[in-house]
Amino acid sequence: MNKLIKKIMSLFILAGVTYALYQNFSLMPEYQGLNEGLSSYIIESGLNDTGSLNLITAVLYDYRAFDSLGESTVIFGAVSGIVLILSRKMLPVSSKGLSFIVKRTLGIMTPFIALFGLYVITHGHLTPGGGFQGGVILAAISIIFSIVYGSAFDYRRYSPQTKTALETGGAMIFLGLGLAGIILEGAFLHNLGFLTAETGTLISAGSIPYINIGVGFKVGAGLAIIFYSMIQKTFEEDF
Amino acid sequence: MAVLEVILVIFLVFSALMAVRFDEELISIIFLSIFSLILTALYLLHKAADVALAEAVIGAGLNTAIFMSAISQIRHGDSD
Repeated sequence: MNKLIKKIMSLFILAGVTYALYQNFSLMPEYQGLNEGLSSYIIESGLNDTGSLNLITAVLYDYRAFDSLGESTVIFGAVSGIVLILSRKMLPVSSKGLSFIVKRTLGIMTPFIALFGLYVITHGHLTPGGGFQGGVILAAISIIFSIVYGSAFDYRRYSPQTKTALETGGAMIFLGLGLAGIILEGAFLHNLGFLTAETGTLISAGSIPYINIGVGFKVGAGLAIIFYSMIQKTFEEDF
Repeated sequence: MAVLEVILVIFLVFSALMAVRFDEELISIIFLSIFSLILTALYLLHKAADVALAEAVIGAGLNTAIFMSAISQIRHGDSD
């Protein structure tokens, strides 16, 4: 009897959540048209204001750059908490890694993964992608090193000190560009006008590519630190 | 277009249900990764390439690795 009541209650809650989500979905701009409100302003004049072909990057790192700063602060808090709780010692007990074939294959593939990550970061203002996505791709390299080659290899190549320095450097680039915006343009994280070049080239869109690079290194190093501190003493016997 | 979307949504719901129903954690994680891949295809159908890239990288790649290391750590703790 008690189980039946539980099931009926959960069905009611599921139906309510489904209805609310459907209402939200039917309010999406694709079903209403993009002719009014803030979205039409950004679509019309985003390219002129920022010089970024990818409007999503223009919103993330120009119009709403302060929110992106908050996001990276959240990631920093998560990394700090996980490292504080989980990491017991700096040098983990390492595994030997996977077989020879896997090691050779990944040795050929890993440079291309790194190249793709750097491409996604640096072309964030021209093509889909940006600092966050490219940073996670770069963090995947550290995960591959830990699983395939053993975590002692990862420790030797990119020690936790190096990762910490990279994360801090990315945050410093972000904040430094924000302060340069105060000094040169008069507002925090204002797009730097003197860096703007011809639209569509790699070095264009003011300070957006540099903020992308900072966010990419910060996110990549942060997620690599999270995985590294979770893997300690983990793959000791299993793999 | 619409037919493909309906098929993808059906598979999405199916993989979500399977991820909840299985007791074995490893199978649940694999189904979550399949869920993320189907969601990536749906985002691409709706022309949201940025969100699709983020979902593919985080949902299918990073989440799987972190969940795997988490469950192996839990088992390690149980055997002690």
